[in-house]
Amino acid sequence: MLTMKDIKKVFRTDLVETHALRDFSLEVNEGEFVAVTGPSGSGKTTFLNIAGLLETFTSGSYVLDGMDVSNLNDKQRSKIRNEKIGFIFQSFNLIPDLDLFDNVDVPLRYRGFNSAERKKRIEESLEMVGLASRMKHLPAQLSGGQQQRVAIARALAGEPRFLLADEPTGNLDTKMAHSVMDLLHEINANGTTIVMVTHDMHLAKQAGRNIFVRDGRVSELHDVSQSEATDAISA
Amino acid sequence: MNLEIGPIFRAMMRNKVGAMLIMLQIAVTMTIIANGFSIIQERKALMARDSGVDIANSFHLSNVSFAEDFDMQTAVIDDLKAIRELPGVADAIQVNAIPLSGSGWSMGLQTEAGDDIDGSGTAVYMVDDHALSAYDVKLIAGRNFELTDLRWRTDNTNDWADVLIATEALTKSLFPDLTPQEVIGKTVFINNHEPIIIIGIIDKLQAPWSGWNNLDHVMLTPDRLAFRGNRYYIRAEEGVRDDVMKRVEETLSNRLSGRMIQGMESMEETQRESYTGASGMIKMLTLIMIVLTIITAMGIVGLASFSVNRRKKQIGTRRALGAAKNSIIRYFMIENLIISGAGVIVGAILTVGLNMILVQAFSLTPIAWYYVPIGMISLLVIGQIAVFGPAQKASSIPPALATRSA
Ligand SMILES: Nc1ncnc2c1ncn2[C@@H]1O[C@H](COP(=O)(O)OP(=O)(O)O)[C@@H](O)[C@H]1O
Ligand SMILES: [Mg+2]
Repeated sequence: MLTMKDIKKVFRTDLVETHALRDFSLEVNEGEFVAVTGPSGSGKTTFLNIAGLLETFTSGSYVLDGMDVSNLNDKQRSKIRNEKIGFIFQSFNLIPDLDLFDNVDVPLRYRGFNSAERKKRIEESLEMVGLASRMKHLPAQLSGGQQQRVAIARALAGEPRFLLADEPTGNLDTKMAHSVMDLLHEINANGTTIVMVTHDMHLAKQAGRNIFVRDGRVSELHDVSQSEATDAISA
Repeated sequence: MNLEIGPIFRAMMRNKVGAMLIMLQIAVTMTIIANGFSIIQERKALMARDSGVDIANSFHLSNVSFAEDFDMQTAVIDDLKAIRELPGVADAIQVNAIPLSGSGWSMGLQTEAGDDIDGSGTAVYMVDDHALSAYDVKLIAGRNFELTDLRWRTDNTNDWADVLIATEALTKSLFPDLTPQEVIGKTVFINNHEPIIIIGIIDKLQAPWSGWNNLDHVMLTPDRLAFRGNRYYIRAEEGVRDDVMKRVEETLSNRLSGRMIQGMESMEETQRESYTGASGMIKMLTLIMIVLTIITAMGIVGLASFSVNRRKKQIGTRRALGAAKNSIIRYFMIENLIISGAGVIVGAILTVGLNMILVQAFSLTPIAWYYVPIGMISLLVIGQIAVFGPAQKASSIPPALATRSA
């Protein structure tokens, strides 16, 4: 599903070079639910952005769904993001001026679906996250948990193969975080591959596999040891 | 391709103030530009009216006596003889007033005698038998003045000559249904009761006042002027006007004492001065239109830049969700098209409304219908050009901004 080999990502400014990823290698298989943890600044978001084609990388190779995505142009990358990848963000990133219906509609319009198809998908995905009755509400009229559920509906409406989540529960209280996690499990159970970055070791443990990132490299953990977990949380 | 018009419009309606202001600015700009253009075209058309005379080669001067015993009658006869003999002079006359000069005489003519009868206003030029040639106008019916028609008009003359030559425009207003040939020999009345016979009709000649409605109404009377002052109107041969002007001035100044030759001016200058108001207005309107267009374009750039900055995160998110750069550019172009579209529709209504007021208040020509669509299209194009920069800036916001910004 996703194969990264020796990915390097260097951020250059006039004064400094930041090596956000160094020889980052990872393979994620179809249907997996992978949780990525690691200290702040270790490169988790950078990895997720590269995985989701939001950012390019300096060197290495990346094959997504059987396709080498290293040298695509903006249009091709946008199309892959739109069709194959769903994104969930820490701060939800709903568009404040659009109601829930129009928010979920955003990626579907870029996809070029006709309006009947879009309507069906919007209603189904809002139904799935339990917010179909609030289609005409603006994001600001919802709680954080509800907003994140709308974001999930938006990510799923296009039926992506691959869901990327960067700290999806980071802005939520425990109760709401759990309900979002339940939703992600349900989605994963339906066959969508999920990669989730999180600070929360408890939530990470619920995933099928844990990846630990430190200094831009992967150290894969099947069983998170107490010392590293503490390390990750305190970082 | 999905145009997103619905969501763009709905999102805009949740932030209407800025959009409304720009919309109104576009409407007002269009209103002023369309009406301004219409007024400019109208003024230009007025300025381009045929004067009837040979503007490029003609000039005039005034001849004023100050000596008590100055013999103006002899002076006029001898002056004209001297001028007409000068090389390069096509013809010359003495006259009481000059076309487009701003000052002159006007009278009313009527087709029946009587005190309360509406007449046609007309300018009066008192000339001799050389007038048609000096003005370079065409006689389209009847005859020119002959020496026997001429008489001397002094300060004490109160009556009018027996015959006149009129412009076609004047005879048309007096006798709308008659052909020029049929008008010849007709009697008209001046000062309500005094009859004059029309003996000739010329194609075109303008009154002294360019803003007058009856600019083309002119009557020529066969009067030689024995006033203390009069004017000479001279037509030079093609291309030698400036030399002739010098020669005439020298000749006249040297010929006699007891009088002054002054105010020599080419008809080109006279015509230009006559329209200084109009050409000043054209310049001012053009300036206003340019400034207004720039301000509106800047307003559009400002609003778009502001909304790009405000929506950075949203744009990054849209990019993350699959918007290509083009889709982002298109978003802002369409948003502008909606604002400008509303602006030019309101503008079209205001344009016609303002025009109706202007037509009423200042009796302008109603605006030509096609100024409205041309104005609408122009402002739509200006809007699209203005928004393109900010739209392009928006499209360069990286998709990673979706995860990087708080
Ligand atoms: N756009 C950027 N320009 C420069 N440095 C960056 C940029 N984005 C991230 N970095 C740096 O790359 C490193 C990894 O960042 P990130 O992937 O956001 O870490 P994490 O998500 O694990 O906290 C950090 O040192 C961060 O400062
Ligand atoms: Mg991060």
